[in-house]
Parts: sequence; C-alpha cells; structure tokens
Amino acid sequence: MGMSVSGGGVKAEPNVTPMIDVMLVLLIIFMITIPQINAGFKAVPPEGQNLKPHPEEDGDQVLGIDDAGRYYLNKKPIRNEDMPTLVGQIYLQERPDYIMYVKAHKDLEYLKVVNALDILSRNGVRVAALITEQTPNTESLVESDRILSQKKEK
Amino acid sequence: MSMSAPTGGSNLNNDMNVTPMIDVLLVLLIIFMMIIPMSRKALDAQLPDPTPQPASTVNADQIVLEVLPGDKFAVNKEPIEKKDVLVRLKAIFDPRPEKVIFVKGDTTVAYGNVIWAMDQARGAGVKVIGIPPK
Repeated sequence: MGMSVSGGGVKAEPNVTPMIDVMLVLLIIFMITIPQINAGFKAVPPEGQNLKPHPEEDGDQVLGIDDAGRYYLNKKPIRNEDMPTLVGQIYLQERPDYIMYVKAHKDLEYLKVVNALDILSRNGVRVAALITEQTPNTESLVESDRILSQKKEK
Repeated sequence: MSMSAPTGGSNLNNDMNVTPMIDVLLVLLIIFMMIIPMSRKALDAQLPDPTPQPASTVNADQIVLEVLPGDKFAVNKEPIEKKDVLVRLKAIFDPRPEKVIFVKGDTTVAYGNVIWAMDQARGAGVKVIGIPPK
C-alpha cells in the first residue's frame, strides 16, 4: 500500500453511503407527499395543441373544478356556495392582474364550467386561463407561444 | 489491508465509485423540480363584462363559434363539420384584422369539446377568445 502514514487500512475517502440513503429516503418522501397535497382533487385537464405557456408564479389563483363539479380554491376544497365570496375577496380589490386559472375536468358538463366562469366574471375576474395540457408530440401553431416556451427552456 | 482476493494488485479498491451517480441524480432532481411548475399551459378566455351595456355591444360582424351537442359545430349559426372547423376559421381570420372570436358552448357538451374548439380557433390565428354572457 502506498500510504505514508501508519495504519495500513485507513481510507481518506468519505463514506457517502449514509448520504445516499438519506437522499433516497427524501426523494421517496417527496414522491409520496406531492400527490397527497392534491388529495381529493380528481380532475384530468383537457388536452390541446395551440396553448399559451403560463409558468407558475407566486400570486396565481387557481380554481379547480373536479369531476363531480366541486370547487377547489388553490387546491383546498371549498363549499360551492362560498366560492363567489372567496373569489370576490381576492379580485374585488387592487391587483396586478385579474387572471384566474381554471383547472376543470375534461369530461365535465360545460354548464358547470360556464356557471363557474359566470360567477368569476361577476366577482372581478377579467380573464380565465383555462388550464390545458399539451397533447404529446405536438407544438403550438402560434409563433408567440413557441417563442415563450423556448425562453422558458433557457 | 486484509484483502480476501488472492490475485490482483494490492492497491485495488473493491468499493463502487458512486460519486458520479449521486451527481447525476442530483442534477435530475433539480431539473424535475424546475420543469414541473414551468410547464403549465392554458387558453386565455375573456369573460363577459358583468355590467352589460345596451345594444351598442352587439357588433354585426363578430364571429361566434358554437359547440353543439353530438360533436356538431356552427360558425355564425351556419352548421359545419368537425373536420372543416379549422379550415373555415382560417378562411375567416386570415384576411380579418380583428382576431376576436366568441366561443359559445351548449350547456350539455363536454368541457373538453369546448376547449377543442378554442384550441382550433387559436390555431387559425385568433388572438382573443371571448366567452359570451349566459
């Protein structure tokens, strides 16, 4: 052994195995908790091709409508009759924007969505951004969307 | 060093070198954390004004795309096949400077079909999608 100091079996490398163990456990914990945060909210957004990228920001407000027509405000279940008041508290005041994100289930009756949009419009929301997923292997035909998604990748 | 293997040089280390693997895993973790919130996409729809103005808002040359039950569509009340929607909208909006459409869905159709119609409209060059008042 080419070690100059005494003790022939001493290695200078740190033992990384416990660190890997901890990291893997953290990874698993995150993988389990992320779906738990959305627990109860069952909605598959519709798919589309020509969509505008909307990266998530801090002040975003998301209204969820699940497959049974129940409302969720920022992932928390709310009572349907409370929705107008809660939305009004957010939007009937000075805000940098009046966009509300709406994540609704794709097979929902349109009546339920249009009722929700009607309530939003009467409580200060000006633009509803209807959350849609990009159909796999497609790209928006609108040039400005492509520029936005390229910027995002950089 | 008490190496059990009788052959080989005495300097050989039998431990696997996991450092590059950790590096790759960490980078992957960071990439996923970045991508998940960034990949959200949506269709912007303008909601109707809650205080409707009298007749003045009724604009004669506005385009209304209707989504009817049974996968049927209509542009300004004129029925149209699903496969012709994109072509028809392109023909309307290419020469038009005002890229505004109203998408009116029947209350019984699936939300996904209305989204499909809005998606086609954007593909045909529409800039602003409006939802007509109830």
